[in-house]
Amino acid sequence: MKMFRKIMFGAALMGLMAAGDASAAGNRLVLDGSTTVGPIAKAFAAYFKKTTGVDVTVSESGSGNGAKSLINKTCDIANMSRAMKDNEMAAAKSKGVNPVENIVALDGMAIIVHPGNRVNGLTRKQIRDIYSGQVTNWSQVGGPNAPIVMIQRESNSGTQDSFKELVMGKELPISKRAETQASNGAVKSRVASTPTAIGFVGHGFIDSSVKALDVDGVEANVQTIKSGKYPISRPLFMYTNGQPTGTVKQFIDLPKTEEGQKIISEVGFVNRY
Amino acid sequence: MNLGTRKLLDRSFTALGIGSIVIMGLALLVVLAPIVSKGVGALVFRETIEHRKLLSTEFHRGDGRELEKEIALSNGYRQKAFDMLAVFDQELEQMTPERQEQYRESYDQVKTALRGLLGPLPGDTDPELARNRYGQTRWDKAEEKLRELLYEQKWDYSNPDVIAKPYDVSRAPGFAGTSLVRLFPYVEQNLDKMLLPEWTFYWGFITDSSIDAHFFGGIWPEIQGTLFLAIGAMLFAFPLGVIAAVYFTEYARDGFLTSMLRSANSTLAGVPSIVFGLFGLAFFINTLHVSESKSVLAGSLTLAIMILPTIIRASEEAILSVPKTYKEASLGLGSTKWNTIMTVILPAALPGILTGGVISLGRAAGETAPIIFTAAVSVGTAIGLGDVLSSPTPALSWNIYNLASEHEAAAQIRHVQYGMVLALVTVVLLLNLSAVILRARISKKLKG
Repeated sequence: MKMFRKIMFGAALMGLMAAGDASAAGNRLVLDGSTTVGPIAKAFAAYFKKTTGVDVTVSESGSGNGAKSLINKTCDIANMSRAMKDNEMAAAKSKGVNPVENIVALDGMAIIVHPGNRVNGLTRKQIRDIYSGQVTNWSQVGGPNAPIVMIQRESNSGTQDSFKELVMGKELPISKRAETQASNGAVKSRVASTPTAIGFVGHGFIDSSVKALDVDGVEANVQTIKSGKYPISRPLFMYTNGQPTGTVKQFIDLPKTEEGQKIISEVGFVNRY
Repeated sequence: MNLGTRKLLDRSFTALGIGSIVIMGLALLVVLAPIVSKGVGALVFRETIEHRKLLSTEFHRGDGRELEKEIALSNGYRQKAFDMLAVFDQELEQMTPERQEQYRESYDQVKTALRGLLGPLPGDTDPELARNRYGQTRWDKAEEKLRELLYEQKWDYSNPDVIAKPYDVSRAPGFAGTSLVRLFPYVEQNLDKMLLPEWTFYWGFITDSSIDAHFFGGIWPEIQGTLFLAIGAMLFAFPLGVIAAVYFTEYARDGFLTSMLRSANSTLAGVPSIVFGLFGLAFFINTLHVSESKSVLAGSLTLAIMILPTIIRASEEAILSVPKTYKEASLGLGSTKWNTIMTVILPAALPGILTGGVISLGRAAGETAPIIFTAAVSVGTAIGLGDVLSSPTPALSWNIYNLASEHEAAAQIRHVQYGMVLALVTVVLLLNLSAVILRARISKKLKG
């Protein structure tokens, strides 16, 4: 039994070491949902921890999962890059959850291609034709003679839903040949490594490895997104269960503070307030 | 078959055996060598003064007076570059609007590249994100950034039929005739004096929390989360598995029910891990409500279910391989069945049981799918042991995936990802090693 005692002793020691930084229960925020809102949420989390001492955890599992988590009461705030759907609202109500919409920032969904692609802009009609499978070669829209590789997001994604709503329209389905990636980052790296690809991501994900196209001749920037001139702009949400109170409210109100607005513009999104 | 052929066959089989072992060794090398070499790059690298500033402000580490001296030294060289910018700003103001427009975009790119190298320029507002507050912290990245400052990447769109190829254009000729042209050679020659690179062993990569979503700092919350999850899974699965194995081998009568249970167990061992993950979410969190959100507890329980079949099978084999004579001798001396199991059979089977445990422990630490929905988050602080019942945690396996695909700046922080991979491999190795040592000591004791 000597061995057993040693093991117990070791375990107790580890427990003591780890228990030192145990935080008070309840003083904690759990965020789940959209990968588009992810960068904002993560930066807010770091800032919030620094200024208030409240631990914030962020999962990036997609808008659909965020909604599900809120409905099942397993998160405090659901990050979503689309508004809650009617069936989600109904499911929430039946479980006694009252989702309240809070807009954190504005996003101009970016249509991205490889920087080696000579195409600089597309109209919404052209994008629709590409994704519905009617246009299959870049030369049909003024590009090089190469077949188009379409990248879309998974069904769980809010960005996918926004894209369908803002570009495709309700009735037109996305072609079955479109390849699916599971996050904004994955779409970006796929497009950056595939010269003939086209994809769509949140505005904050653009960097020099991909080229963002003008849509209907409008370049996505702070002014055009804010004024709504950029045709595929959308709000980004943080849903709460009931009107936010206490620390949740403090967190939700970050976009109204000066620091919060700085964070939002530094991660590449657009302030609403 | 004559002797000659037999010898030849024998030799060729030996050669085949050795060959396959060599191939296995090479494969291991091919896999492990980049993991180790790139992973070490997260710990051992040439840190610039920006890294020392970061350590000093964020972690209060390092010799403050020494750092101030260094900052003064590097600022002397930086100031000259800043002065060049200021002079050019004045020049720009006196130009005609058309000429201003000509330089504007390129000048903004130069400023952005310079910010990337040295941090905020004079006159900039204080950035809120740590990634923008400091310049390049690693010399290898700084050299890449320097290239961005000196050269502009352009794309050759001359042939409309093909995808364009990139080519680099030096930025300096674009500013010919202005004062800014001096900036480029100056920065190129004096970058090491502005950044003061030094070889360092950044042990904080293991013990620090991450800063600004893994841009800087370390991976301690992830390592700790992985340990909690793996050990937690073992706490649930190991006793349960051994008890089940004892039941199967000593108590269960061979019958329809037992054979059903056995085949159910074998089937469970082959179920894909994502299924366990979804089951864990639906059962432990949404049905049983073991915790309000994802938590280490829910993750451990899910992992425990996943590794349970392996532990049961290994324990069964180990118990069956205990010589029957042990049991007969014990029972013959008048011991009860329970007593025999506890004092004779289990101790003799323990090394074998532990082997199963070791394999499962490694699997529990490395699995991603079961913890996606039950325990893992992409950003979070290190949790205390008191929080394991209610708090989710970052974990190495999930965060490696997150950094590889989802992170908004994945390409900029590859070194962190490599470091995490190395850490995960090391954690699994250490967990296994400690179990192997424990097993060796027990076997030694048993032999007397």
